Amino acid sequence: MIKYIAKRLVMLIPVILVTSFLIYWAMSLTGGDPALMIAGDNAKPEQIEQIREELGLNDPFLVQYLNYMKGMLTGDMGKSYVTNKDVFKTFMERLPNTLMLGGAAVLIAVIVSLPLGIYTAIHQNTWKDTAGMIFALFGTSMPNFWLGLMLILIFSLYLGLLPTGGKTGPTSIILPAVTVGFGLAALITRTTRSSMLDVLRQDYMTTARAKGCSEKQVIFRHGLKNALIPIITAIGLQMSLVITGSVLAETVFSWPGIGRLVYDSITKRDTPMVTGSIIMCSILMCIINLVVDLIYAFFDPRIKAQYSKKG
Amino acid sequence: MDSYSTKHVKSRTLFQETWRRLVKNKGAMIGMGFLIFLILAALLSPFIFNYETDVIGQNMSDRLMGPCATHWFGTDEYGRDLFARVIYGARYSLAIGVGSVTIGLVVGTVLGSLAGFYGGPVDSLIMRAIDIFYSIPNILTAVVIVSLLGTSTVNLMIALAFSCASSFSRIVRASVMTIRDQEYVESSYAMGLPTWKIIAKHILPNCLSPIIVQITLLIGSTIISASSLSFLGIGVPAPAPEWGALLSAGRGHIRDASYMCVIPGLAIMFTVLALNLLGDGLRDALDPKMKK
Amino acid sequence: MKTLIAGFCPVTGRTGKEMEEKNMKKKMVLALAAVMLVTSLAGCGGGSSSSGSGSSGSSSGGSSEAAASAGESTEATGAKETLIIGTDADINNLDLQKQQDAANNVILKNTHQTLVFFNNGSAGDDRFVPGLATDWEFSDDTHITMHLRDDVYFNDGEQTPMTAEDVKFTLDMAMENVVASALAGYVSCNVVDDHTVEIEIESYSNEFVQSLASVPLSIQSKKAYDDGVEDPYYIGTGPYKFDEWIDGEYCRLVKVEDYWGNDLPEDDNFAAGPAKIIEFRPYIEASSRVMALQTGEIDVCINPPINELQYLEDDDNIEVYEQTGTRLFYFAFNVSKDPWDNQTLRQAVACAIDRDAVLEAAVYGKGTLQTTILNRGLWGFYDDMEGFDYDLDRAKSLMAEAGYPDGGISTTLSYASGTPYEQIATVIQANLADIGIEVTLEPMETATLKSACVDGTQELFLWRWNEDSKVDFVYRDLFYTGSGSNYHHYADSKADEMIDIVATEKDQDVRLQTAQELQEYLVDACPQVPLYIANLVIAYNKNLRGQYFYGGGNHNWSHAYIAE
Repeated sequence: MIKYIAKRLVMLIPVILVTSFLIYWAMSLTGGDPALMIAGDNAKPEQIEQIREELGLNDPFLVQYLNYMKGMLTGDMGKSYVTNKDVFKTFMERLPNTLMLGGAAVLIAVIVSLPLGIYTAIHQNTWKDTAGMIFALFGTSMPNFWLGLMLILIFSLYLGLLPTGGKTGPTSIILPAVTVGFGLAALITRTTRSSMLDVLRQDYMTTARAKGCSEKQVIFRHGLKNALIPIITAIGLQMSLVITGSVLAETVFSWPGIGRLVYDSITKRDTPMVTGSIIMCSILMCIINLVVDLIYAFFDPRIKAQYSKKG
Repeated sequence: MDSYSTKHVKSRTLFQETWRRLVKNKGAMIGMGFLIFLILAALLSPFIFNYETDVIGQNMSDRLMGPCATHWFGTDEYGRDLFARVIYGARYSLAIGVGSVTIGLVVGTVLGSLAGFYGGPVDSLIMRAIDIFYSIPNILTAVVIVSLLGTSTVNLMIALAFSCASSFSRIVRASVMTIRDQEYVESSYAMGLPTWKIIAKHILPNCLSPIIVQITLLIGSTIISASSLSFLGIGVPAPAPEWGALLSAGRGHIRDASYMCVIPGLAIMFTVLALNLLGDGLRDALDPKMKK
Repeated sequence: MKTLIAGFCPVTGRTGKEMEEKNMKKKMVLALAAVMLVTSLAGCGGGSSSSGSGSSGSSSGGSSEAAASAGESTEATGAKETLIIGTDADINNLDLQKQQDAANNVILKNTHQTLVFFNNGSAGDDRFVPGLATDWEFSDDTHITMHLRDDVYFNDGEQTPMTAEDVKFTLDMAMENVVASALAGYVSCNVVDDHTVEIEIESYSNEFVQSLASVPLSIQSKKAYDDGVEDPYYIGTGPYKFDEWIDGEYCRLVKVEDYWGNDLPEDDNFAAGPAKIIEFRPYIEASSRVMALQTGEIDVCINPPINELQYLEDDDNIEVYEQTGTRLFYFAFNVSKDPWDNQTLRQAVACAIDRDAVLEAAVYGKGTLQTTILNRGLWGFYDDMEGFDYDLDRAKSLMAEAGYPDGGISTTLSYASGTPYEQIATVIQANLADIGIEVTLEPMETATLKSACVDGTQELFLWRWNEDSKVDFVYRDLFYTGSGSNYHHYADSKADEMIDIVATEKDQDVRLQTAQELQEYLVDACPQVPLYIANLVIAYNKNLRGQYFYGGGNHNWSHAYIAE
């Protein structure tokens, strides 16, 4: 088991190498000189040249990249071109916000999706099924920022119930979490429904019923438990997407998360910040995927057995 | 699909069977109906509206008029009729959706079948590369690509095609891997057919159903991604009435002229919803386990 | 004086008109004005912040001199502990000399102080007044002797006094940093005694002393750097000190308890305000910022979107203030590119642009059209030249004269994506189609646009310039041959010559004359088409007192608070 985890973590190294190279390369190609952004409007060419020299922007791309990677090896992710702050520190400052938003969003998505998925599966091919699925699909069919704006309009402005944005108090997370969560609901509902449908057709369900279990017991004890694995995969996948994927919701709600950090850094051509953040995200995603895999093992003894065979 | 079904008697019945099951799905039918309407609107809009005057012609004296008899959806900040723009916008939004998915499909299929068919180092190389692209959210990939290539409709399609390609290649690879060891593939090998022919003739047709489902769903999510890029200010350049661009223009008027934001938003929502319903219906209909 | 009184609103927050109806109030205002006059004559620290509170609903001041009021409440009212300001941009770097961003400078104004104080003009025309320096004089063309206040100490907890050594240290350090461009011409600084310095400059310049009013050149503590304090740049002499900055959430300043200026009269530029905490919170999405003001999450909303002003104006708890700004938006040519090296063609384009429509689309008419290339409110501003008004017939005849009778030009217009450039570009695209110029719009990120402009790969572009203190920063930066921000790539030795005269001529009459000629010359040469100056619009809690607005947006919040 430990060997398996170690192996997964070692696999990260080539991913980090390639990702950092690609991002560094792409950023150097995008045109747009970070020195111009730092220097401001009134800067003289000599100042800009000086900044370029200080940041090493005049070196050939490969030299820049190798210097960056040299730092990485010693655990130094560099400093932001723009804020001069340590990249790792800035990332870690934002991380709790993102995890909080992601966690709350996934929680909301699960609260909506699990019952809805089970319900639609039980009532397959009836109007209840159709209505339930349409409801779930609304979330993915809307541009997420649009939903966010509509929610702000209704709940903050007309009803005055919730703050419009920023991270100002415990209630400020509600709207962004609902916005992101509703977007995730469709996939989880869909997965729950089809997974439940698979399970409901199995012979052991009939057996359970024949044994005289109540319908409730049949569905939850025998059905849901066996249907959980694909559902967990779906949730895990969504969780990792939420980390950097909520750029728009974060913009609409001024939520200081990682998505916005990366996006802002791209527009400001802050290469160390972009590269560092995306590498950290890849690591984070890998860890989440690993945790998801381990949860499978917990739910499914067959997979556990596989790990121990491998390990 | 048709040329394929005429050649194989068995699959014609598969097609008919699928269709029969799809018709029973109310959601899918509603979705399909809406899409047909939309495609017609997109095709006919140049005959209904004059692009130069109705769609991009400015009239500052009529700016920001709410929905009324002459302007069903109201007018925007340059006095342009929003109804004409939304209908015309279907052309852009659908074209971007279909365009990027097509590029993604071609690239993804080639990569996926190579990876699946050859396995080994080819497979790991391609799949690791795809994993990496997959681990960066498609919006951010697209932002980088658009800054790299510059803003234009074609570049936008290319940027969005990246995420489509990775998801297609995964599907194709998985299907190819299960099929390549089947006896009929081995026998074609024995008959001396070239590899590409085997892939094209025997393997790809068998992964059609997940691909079709994925196409419908991805067109939807691509339309949304395109509108998100417009929201971030790097979408289709003005004055083209792409829905995301309309939304992005309306976003500043969410309070004083909310229709500008609500209507294009609804257009996107219903279109993507229709695609999703159809996709879900197709998935159920094509699923052999669903046969009763 | 008249403008001054009109700007005066007593603590009750009444408008000037109402005041005239009330004799009592009028007397009080006059009395206050008299006090003001005396203090300013006495030269007590410049005394430019006028007393009074708030401002009338939307007094669209004719010039930037009709500025908002600052000051204190004469009534024994309390102040809310925290003042929260909703900003439209995140700060990025508080290391003064490593940045030049307005978003940072607005914050740094509260924690740091400059040798020369730049006021917003509400006290008259003399806008550069003593700050940490009490007076200065040119001993010859290249040497300035400057005396410093002797009662200033840093907010480092130890009351380390500010001396000439700190001034020398700060200015020398500036030459090594990004901000060196603001200090162009500086040679060295000699410490004469603890409170006197002699600054040497390369050659005489009319505006060198004004440079010292720039926020990034605020005086920093040499001791903090020598002692190796972490982030030494946070230590300044201001009435507030830096507390915490969480990137993307807030930047919080707290009052310095043992501030050196605690005993200064309330109307002094350096007087401390009653607010204990000032917090700056970025709300990037404009609608969110407006809503946050309405729900009371923030006290001030910077740059409310014009189309949402109606909601703020309807709200009894909110004041919307408006005055002429200094930010000039313009349409420009890369004159080094064919066909835009053709002056007549440029003039034809200028005549084809419907600037009224631009103003309407971009800011709903809340701005001022202008003909000249200089920012309004700057010294020597002259706007009476003929210029190129919207006239399609004239545009067409100029097109013919330029050799393009049927148009037939395809080009691209580059601009930074987002409001208001999007709107301006859309109108101009339609305008130019009328004279046969087909324009492809090319919105890009600011970073890319700047690079393109520096490299000269762009054709047409939209840009803005915001300068409220030094004219040389307009003429030289934008039009001088080879200047880094001369995105027009305009090169003309005659213009260069006039720019140099404006910078160095000591005879003020000749200087003014040349400045006018220069503006006429540049307008006619037409490397850019000035579009409009956007109004400064700001909305805030109606109990806000002591605010001190600048047309360019670099407001001073160090006296501001919410009365309770």
